[in-house]
Amino acid sequence: MQQTLQAIVSQAKETIHTVSELTHLDEIRVQYFGKKGELTQMMKTLGKLSAEERPKAGQIINEAKQAVQGLLADKKQALENALLEAQLTSETIDVTLPGRGVNIGGIHPVTRTLRRIETIFAKAGFEIETGPEIEDDWHNFEALNIPETHPARAMHDTFYFDAQTVLRTHTSGVQIRTMENRDVPMRIIAPGRVYRCDSDQTHTPMFHQVEGLIVEEQASFAQLRTLIIAFLKQFFEDDQLKVRFRPSYFPFTEPSAEVDIATNLFGDGRWIEVLGCGMVHPKVLENVGVDGEKYTGLAFGLGVERLAMLRYGVTDLRQFFENDVRFLKQFK
Amino acid sequence: MKISENWLREWVNPAWETSQLIEELSLAGLEVDGAEAVAPAFTGVVVAKVLSVTKHPDADKLNITQVDIGAEEPVQIVCGASNVVAGMKACCATVGAVLPGNFKIKKAKLRGVPSNGMLCGATELGLPDTGVDGLHVLADDAPVGEDIRCYLDLDDQVIDIDLTPNRADCLSVEGVARDIAAFADCQVAQPFTLDTVSKQGACPQSIQIDQPAACPKYLGVLVTDFDTSAQTPDWIVRRLNRSGIAEKSLSVDITNYVMLELGQPMHAFDADALTGTVTVRMANAGERLVTLDEKELELKPDTLVVADKAGPIALAGIMGGLATSVNDNTQKLFFECAHFAPLAITGKARQYGLHTDSSHRFERGVDAELPERALERALQLFVECAGGQVSEVSSAIDKTSLPKQAEISLRYERIKKLLGVNLERQVVEAIFERLNFQIQLESNGWLLTAPSYRFDIAIEADLIEEVGRVFGYNNLPNDALVAPMRLPHLPEAIQEQMFIRKELVSRGYHEIITYSFVEETLQNTLVPDAEAVLLQNPISDDMKAMRTTLFPGLLQTLAYNQKRQQNQLKFFEMGLVFQRHGDETQQTPMIGGAIVGPINSPSWTGDDRVADFYDLKGDVETLLALSHVQDKVRFEPTQSTLFHPGQAAALYQQDRCVGSLGQLHPGLAKKAGVSGKVYLFQLELDVILTQKIPMAEPISKFPEVQRDLAFVVADDLPVQALLDALNTVDNPWLKSIELFDIYRGQGIADQQKSIALTLKLQHPERTLQDEEVESLVQAYIAKASEKVDASLR
Repeated sequence: MQQTLQAIVSQAKETIHTVSELTHLDEIRVQYFGKKGELTQMMKTLGKLSAEERPKAGQIINEAKQAVQGLLADKKQALENALLEAQLTSETIDVTLPGRGVNIGGIHPVTRTLRRIETIFAKAGFEIETGPEIEDDWHNFEALNIPETHPARAMHDTFYFDAQTVLRTHTSGVQIRTMENRDVPMRIIAPGRVYRCDSDQTHTPMFHQVEGLIVEEQASFAQLRTLIIAFLKQFFEDDQLKVRFRPSYFPFTEPSAEVDIATNLFGDGRWIEVLGCGMVHPKVLENVGVDGEKYTGLAFGLGVERLAMLRYGVTDLRQFFENDVRFLKQFK
Repeated sequence: MKISENWLREWVNPAWETSQLIEELSLAGLEVDGAEAVAPAFTGVVVAKVLSVTKHPDADKLNITQVDIGAEEPVQIVCGASNVVAGMKACCATVGAVLPGNFKIKKAKLRGVPSNGMLCGATELGLPDTGVDGLHVLADDAPVGEDIRCYLDLDDQVIDIDLTPNRADCLSVEGVARDIAAFADCQVAQPFTLDTVSKQGACPQSIQIDQPAACPKYLGVLVTDFDTSAQTPDWIVRRLNRSGIAEKSLSVDITNYVMLELGQPMHAFDADALTGTVTVRMANAGERLVTLDEKELELKPDTLVVADKAGPIALAGIMGGLATSVNDNTQKLFFECAHFAPLAITGKARQYGLHTDSSHRFERGVDAELPERALERALQLFVECAGGQVSEVSSAIDKTSLPKQAEISLRYERIKKLLGVNLERQVVEAIFERLNFQIQLESNGWLLTAPSYRFDIAIEADLIEEVGRVFGYNNLPNDALVAPMRLPHLPEAIQEQMFIRKELVSRGYHEIITYSFVEETLQNTLVPDAEAVLLQNPISDDMKAMRTTLFPGLLQTLAYNQKRQQNQLKFFEMGLVFQRHGDETQQTPMIGGAIVGPINSPSWTGDDRVADFYDLKGDVETLLALSHVQDKVRFEPTQSTLFHPGQAAALYQQDRCVGSLGQLHPGLAKKAGVSGKVYLFQLELDVILTQKIPMAEPISKFPEVQRDLAFVVADDLPVQALLDALNTVDNPWLKSIELFDIYRGQGIADQQKSIALTLKLQHPERTLQDEEVESLVQAYIAKASEKVDASLR
């Protein structure tokens, strides 16, 4: 009996070895384990054996069964693996081809710059305020200590709708509106479009400004300077940035300063003017009913295009408003 | 204002190199726009006298000259200039000289004749072209042998200072020198002393001020019997030229020189052309004046004039008249030196299209105490050059109208509060001493009086600025702002604009920023029913109208890019539009977009579909969905001149139209300069800037029931009408109605279409019974039939 079983196992081994199809393997399984399968038949012979012989015979038949089952299982696994592999090989694609639907646009560089400025100040507790672009004479000029006869009016190259209505020449009017409507102390920035009747290589009739205003009981020019220097270093991510303050003149601040920067990142280390700032003029505080003895105000105005040009290496201001898609694509 | 550095250094000469001088000027608040050398570098050029000129034997155009260069022996130079004559003084580059462009002068032979040097023309030395062909001719009294750089004062820079309107006191060499002296803590040198010019006899020219507030001081003097052939000395011409002023005649040059030197504009009249009293008055309506620049002006009654018996002879403080101007035959001069108040002059020059050095100064203000000194200086210079008889000064002065220097209190503790720096009292006092202020002590600070030329100083803050300016802004301490920590107000229902931008960017849009003013005609063609506001003074005619929609800018940008072979375009812009409603101009924030061309970049996938209405609508719906208002905004077919009549929708929130979208009317494409099928949208930004604060509902554990229904309806029925009909069914368990097919063709009658929908129903607390579902489905079918004549397919 043992010999018979050995013969079955070794024959099974041989047969299974040659199998290359899963269906064929199933036929072999039936050949051994089906109702009339060779090993099934062997099990049936157990009944004819004596009680003493039976356990031993049962054991060797079981061993043979397990051996054949093992062979079948191994083969099945091997065949399935091969099948999967073949399938995977046939499914190989060129992963270097580009994917679908990648058509990303971009934020305009001016918006990008505005956003950067806003974020820096917002994180320091400044609130963002906006105002109208068609502005009245009071908010654009009078309240800011620029009366009709002031020579500074001529500096502004104002677009007029009528004697009392202008396109705002700066976002400083938002200062006035905010102080008129809210209680001090306050820290705000006012970003937005502004307009000057001037157009050449270095001037566009529309551009963007961010005006900043702090009104507090303890706010000094030294603090304004510290703030501006810190902002510029953060904006340009340049700790070595050189910053200088020059006395200047704005009707709505006193003292007033213009701020120049110099860096090796651009401009060959020459001084480049980037913003104006100062202590809010007492007359302006008076115009909006803020006690100028108790409170002091710090104000600054940034030219957004100027900062964008320096930061992103744009050489022609006019490109910002031509909206050439080949230009815009560079600001993804 | 341009001034010569050497002239300035004659007045004040701190131990600063040019570069430091420029830096210090800027740091003093006198911003330097630039500095330019008056001549390029060269060496070895001297004043020479041409002793003799003989023809070169072998060259028609060359001469052999003997030239005295101040050496022991004359040198022989071969010269090709046509204007060379014996006896002239000229510039001679000696052997060893290096001319601009590193051109070295060596001994040479020209056509066989030895030549030891070169006689130079102006351009060869990099000097301004005087229009003389040939050699640069020097004055007869030029000292032979002197270095030309020294003789012509060529080691000089022209410094261009951009003064702010408050610093009119620095519109002169003396003014700039004063400020430098305060910063360098040194003295202003007086390069001249005013020995009073001897005067004889009363001035026969009578003067009168009718407008003392506008002109509180008017001085005049008559000069006669002078040398009418006297020329302006070279050094004056040179300084005028370096300040950008051309020489004209001696009297005019001297008034200009004094204006540059001291800051006082003056005027010289031909006294023989004057009749009667010279009066400062307002113009009479209808009066006319031909000004020096030969323009005839019709004067307005708000204009201050200087007039004689015959009428206006000058626009006061702006420009003189032609008829009374000085000319070659002038025998008698009347010099005017007056103080005009800024308010009387401001804006007047511009009103007549004029801007002069005089109006520039008077508009900003001139020292009211200056006229006496300036007139004396002018007379001194004039008499030095041309001699003559000078009359007594005739003056009309209204003392009560003269500006008075304000006495202003400066509180010590206010300096600390405003500047943020603790300064010793002596430091503050020293600063004001250097600035020539009068200082009186007060209990908590000082009472200060500014010098008469610092009429810009009006309030305490002005004084504090002076302290900061002289102390140095850049010397202020670092001091970070301190404030109580306030947490921000952060309304969650407000959508961040950047979120909206980023969404469109990820859908392929580029953000653009276009001008808020557009071409009026195109705008009217595109959007005829919106009323625009118009600029009075546009940059150009095509930037006159404020935009009433974002469409003109979007279309212009498409056109610009299509012209540059860019065809796959998607743009959006956010910004205000301006519409006039009666007397009000509404300024409304909008978002708008435009797309044209293929949806994808050329790709191996072959998906080269061109953008259509539903691409755009999907983008708009995404914006609405971002803001959770998609259920509240309805799209309805609309008709407008802008859009294709069959491909346009208006967006309604409740009953208000808040936007529109559609295909640009093909008939407008050409006018707008665009090609292809262009799709546009515009939406009030506020609609998508509010969002719902989410309120979570439990997710039902019970199965969702789906029923597919296909309705046959009239082909022209908008799907929205069917959906509206279905939504009238009262069904608390409805989760959604989803459209999944539109079909026309076989099996469906002509003029009809089939709309296939999935109804999704779900009960929150139990499983829906078949009968319940069935009865709801029947309700939907009934409503569809009733409202839009739909039948089940």
